[in-house]
Amino acid sequence: MNISEKAKGIIDSCRFCWMCRHICPIGNATGLERNTARARALGASMVVRGATELKEISKNVYECALCGACTNNCMTGWDPKVFIQELKTEIVLNGVAPDYIVGLIEKYSETGNIYGKKACSCLDSLYGNGGKIGLFVGQDALYNVPELVKKVVELLAKAGVKVDLLKNQDSGAALWFLTGKTEETKNAAVACANALNEYETVIVYDPQDYKLMKHEYNEWNVEVKAEIVSINEYLLKLIKDGALKVKKGNNEYTLQDNYFYVRDLDDETTAREIIASVGVNKEMLLKGKETNMAGHLIMNEYMPEVIKEVAQNRWINAKNMDCNVIVTESPAEYVLLKATAPQGAKVLSVEEMLLENI
Amino acid sequence: MNDFLQTQILTELEDAVGRENCSIKEIDKVTHSVDYFWLSRMWADRGRRMPEADFIVSPKDATETSKVMKIANYYKIPVTTWGGGGGTQGGAIPVCGGILLDTKRMNKIYEVNTDSMYIECGAGAIYKHIEWAANEKGYATMHYPSSLTCSTVGGFLAHRGIGVVSTKYGKIDDMVLQMEVVLPNGDIINTSSAPKHAAGPDLNQIFIGSEGTLGVITKAQIRIYEEPEVRRFRGFLFKDMSSAFKASREVLQKFKPSVMRLYDEAETASLIKKIVGVSKPGAFMNIAYEGVKELVDVEEKILLDTFAKYGAEDLGSEYGEKWWKEKITFFYPGHMMDLPQMFGTMDTIAPYDKIEKIYWAMKEAVEKNFPQAKFIAHFSHWYEWGCMIYDRFIIDEKDVPKDPVEAMRLHNAMWNLGVRTAIANGGVVNDHHGVGFKLGRLMKEQYGPAMQVFEGIKKSLDPNGIMNPFKLGL
Repeated sequence: MNISEKAKGIIDSCRFCWMCRHICPIGNATGLERNTARARALGASMVVRGATELKEISKNVYECALCGACTNNCMTGWDPKVFIQELKTEIVLNGVAPDYIVGLIEKYSETGNIYGKKACSCLDSLYGNGGKIGLFVGQDALYNVPELVKKVVELLAKAGVKVDLLKNQDSGAALWFLTGKTEETKNAAVACANALNEYETVIVYDPQDYKLMKHEYNEWNVEVKAEIVSINEYLLKLIKDGALKVKKGNNEYTLQDNYFYVRDLDDETTAREIIASVGVNKEMLLKGKETNMAGHLIMNEYMPEVIKEVAQNRWINAKNMDCNVIVTESPAEYVLLKATAPQGAKVLSVEEMLLENI
Repeated sequence: MNDFLQTQILTELEDAVGRENCSIKEIDKVTHSVDYFWLSRMWADRGRRMPEADFIVSPKDATETSKVMKIANYYKIPVTTWGGGGGTQGGAIPVCGGILLDTKRMNKIYEVNTDSMYIECGAGAIYKHIEWAANEKGYATMHYPSSLTCSTVGGFLAHRGIGVVSTKYGKIDDMVLQMEVVLPNGDIINTSSAPKHAAGPDLNQIFIGSEGTLGVITKAQIRIYEEPEVRRFRGFLFKDMSSAFKASREVLQKFKPSVMRLYDEAETASLIKKIVGVSKPGAFMNIAYEGVKELVDVEEKILLDTFAKYGAEDLGSEYGEKWWKEKITFFYPGHMMDLPQMFGTMDTIAPYDKIEKIYWAMKEAVEKNFPQAKFIAHFSHWYEWGCMIYDRFIIDEKDVPKDPVEAMRLHNAMWNLGVRTAIANGGVVNDHHGVGFKLGRLMKEQYGPAMQVFEGIKKSLDPNGIMNPFKLGL
């Protein structure tokens, strides 16, 4: 198996260690022993040792959301995401990917997105406004929740900010998730970077794209000249500068920390500061880097029942602490929590929360 | 088993628990074939496949578990129960194949009852999850073993687990009120509605520690406690362990600290030095005491006066606090023993008049007969009448046979010697890791004719001998 020595080292360290099992949102939803970092590592170690075949572990590799909960929990600093991503590349290159993954890749090849959808015509007026500030919303929002895109634009307009919706909304995140670091993923990243570079500043809406641009693009030597800024950072600055005038009230909001922001980008504070500007932060027990959710719309395409269970488990966390209004930072978590919200509970995106308080 | 019969049984199991909860996939078989038992890990490390189950079955409750039991009994196929797979004794390994019954779908937290101070949950709940449920209401389970995040409620009950604050709050067998158990014939029973009574022998205690040989625990009521107002730590350095035993025994006649951990000179100079930073020679002891502040103030005075009388050097609170913070860090890869080393924890327990003798006898036996092994120990669960030794042997890679068969031979010889020495000097087969596959052969040596009590219960409840064969010496 053609994986790096680094990946092999992590596999051999994780294969007999159960310490992070409690924090895996997928394992917690399925109760399956194989949905643990140690089981994935054990399976991979047996492939490395010739005791089983790559195809026998391929489905289990794709049952990982790459949320990094295990990585965050590891006191030694091992990162199971590293070997998972390398295994995906091996699986795809060796032609042993599960049928449903092959199907998603084919759909991507045919339509440019794994959902096989066309962007909503309701967004047509947002492209090519000639502004210097670009808006990169990513494929999850573009194809699944265009209404959120419209709300972002509406909110920014209230602060006098006019944005162009980029034509290219593919950062390579879907290919990265499905195939790891392949030529195709890198090509998508380069094309995206070229699109970003047509602007001085680009506001990035989806944390998974933002993380890719901040981390992987650098590793892959994909140059982004434009200033890229997350939507949360941009909104907080507008509030602090007084450009976005919000009303402070006593409504309680609970942040669903997005795992890319808190774990990969080390940002637990921006969204909380935004909430504090309009209301009161009410926290769940598992917050910040300990957040226990892996909202993932790609996985929702091939294991919807499990992803639904993940979201329902998060609602149990919320209800146990009497948290009734959840504020999400990513379109995936917005969609999944909204679809599973219990009676009397409400989901708002950060923008929706702010629009309610202007 | 032939394909035809196997497929027939598979369809019946799928009918019992749902097709999606019944697997014959290789990944599931491999995953459930290796637990924390050193031999299973070594076997896999050498690229060998451990014995695997034929079916991996995940029932959602007692009713589905009951259906599985009936199928297993009809076809007379083994059933091995798997919780988190974090056991060190091979108790969850399906050595005879058959059905591997994974309990983790039975993970529902039914109730946090703050009137009677318990959580009712499925036995497949990860213990850390019930700790979170308690924390969300402002309480705690006070069961903090190093495997807190790995293991299930049922797993701890099945092998009589213990946590680091046991001296004050007790073992898992002290923490359970009532249990639901599915018997091998499929009957679903409940133990007494209260754990203390005069309604005959204690059913809870028949199934706690039975390691899946008598039935499947499917639900439990687990005690919760108020968070202590204060938790204070104090580190001490004793010149020798004898004075530490005397001082500790005296303290325990007056009050119960939560944490009591005495390290022998070898472990003080190795692990404790590395993780906690104590560099002086001697036997390090870490004590925590907790509860209502006024009471803790009194306890602190008793502790300091008593330990001073026995010449303990007061190291202040810093080391203890650091240990508390790092108490689970020890068990992550890279912090302690791991393959390719060979190692084992031969924990045992005895009254004070025997415990020190056991320590020295085991140390001498291991070091004399296996000079390639390092022997370290600490004493970490204490009672008014005695305490536990957590003694470990460690053999570095260069002295571990490459041939897995020879490695198994050496491993088992060390265990035979260590545990037999403990038994000969008044100890027991194990304190809190259980017996499992690893030590089953030694149960009869400890119990002698008393073993027929266990055998009789086993024969009566499980006449076909399908429940976790070759475990617990049954």
